[in-house]
Amino acid sequence: MDVLRQLLIIAIFPGGIFMLLIGLVYAWINGKLIARLQNRVGPRWFQPFADMLKLITKEEIVPEGTNKLLFELLPIVALAGPMTAALYVPMAGLRPSSSFQGDLIVTIYLLSLMTLCTGFAGANTRDRFSTIGATRALTQLFSYEAPFLLALLGPAIVAGTWQISEIITTNQGLWLVVTQPISFVIAIIGLMGKLEMHPFDAPEAKTEIVAGALTEYSGRGLALFKVGHYVELVIGLTLVAALFLGGLANPLMFLLKTLGLLLGISFLEALMTRLRIDQTVGLWWRYGSVLALLQLVILVIWSTLVS
Amino acid sequence: MTLEERSSPILKAFEKAVAWARMNSVWAVHYNSGSCNGCDIELLTTITPRYDVERIGIKLAGSPRHADVLVCTGPVTGQGKDALLRTYEQMPAPKFVVAIGTCALSGGVFEGSYNTYDGIDGLVPVDVYIPGCPPRPEAIINGFAQLLEKVENYA
Repeated sequence: MDVLRQLLIIAIFPGGIFMLLIGLVYAWINGKLIARLQNRVGPRWFQPFADMLKLITKEEIVPEGTNKLLFELLPIVALAGPMTAALYVPMAGLRPSSSFQGDLIVTIYLLSLMTLCTGFAGANTRDRFSTIGATRALTQLFSYEAPFLLALLGPAIVAGTWQISEIITTNQGLWLVVTQPISFVIAIIGLMGKLEMHPFDAPEAKTEIVAGALTEYSGRGLALFKVGHYVELVIGLTLVAALFLGGLANPLMFLLKTLGLLLGISFLEALMTRLRIDQTVGLWWRYGSVLALLQLVILVIWSTLVS
Repeated sequence: MTLEERSSPILKAFEKAVAWARMNSVWAVHYNSGSCNGCDIELLTTITPRYDVERIGIKLAGSPRHADVLVCTGPVTGQGKDALLRTYEQMPAPKFVVAIGTCALSGGVFEGSYNTYDGIDGLVPVDVYIPGCPPRPEAIINGFAQLLEKVENYA
């Protein structure tokens, strides 16, 4: 019975099928919001479903000079990372289905697996655009990862634990966005950097380097990478909403808070233009990490004074 | 026993779903094989919010590996021929080709010239021809509508 329950958790909810469906739905909402902000009609509600079904049934070409095993395996790992992270976040406002001391760090690691796989996939092919895309993706990874981690440490320090479910129960009803605004902003913008959304889309800049690290991927591999992005979007939104917006008490709160965050992200995405890779790195190391450290120092001093 | 008789209802439903997905998600890669840019500007106009073909799932992909349709303009110059063939060969199956503009159809004013190939259908198989010099965005959308029919009936 226990095995059956665990299988259900992995295959249907909150891993597996549920994550795929909600990821595609959120991808559509994101596309639609951006389209409306740009005065377009936008995609139809089934657009991501049609895209993925088409890509999966397309021919997959393995280019010459690549390691075939890595080429086939990297998209699977890229999707599996965010899917596993779904087990540790309060998906749909319910309790995390798996939880242990320190799972916040594991979740953050699983979320960066996607970018790592993109980088390796680009470096694996001989194509020059893929190589440039991979370099940019990994450079960007090293710039936003530290501030993002520091930003998510804020709620953990206030709660005094590294366990996501305990952080949420300790800060129940406490909107940390009011007391830690800097961390919140850095977490949101870090999430946009992770997902290679608009101001940070230098790694897949269509007008410069074709499609970045994924230039050589066709069919199944491309579909898996794209679905991985969509799943990661949902996980990231859930994590930030749960840590900073007073927890996710029920499915309705989950929808309201994550969609509110998604609206903000889409607005930023439609508003801003692409940063050069050196500007991205400069932004994160000159301002992002310094501000995140400042917030952390304030929090540490404040919590020592209180206790 | 033909393939038609052997296929089970589930397989047929799956094939129908795939045909639906292909029809509703057409990604195009744009190649200019020596055109004067008139047709290219009209194609880009078709993608702007005013005509907005993205609402029916048609969008430009950067890489030929991601694309389903090669949208080609121009009379194919001697220099552009190799790149055209390479772009076509890099696309994964099933793939389609749309020729836009009089030059891409027949060579236009360059017909019989010493360094053009008089249209792209001598080099790659073309599915939809859109005449005009340059064709209006309405004509391009009409061509895409014919292409979608062809994509849906692709076996």
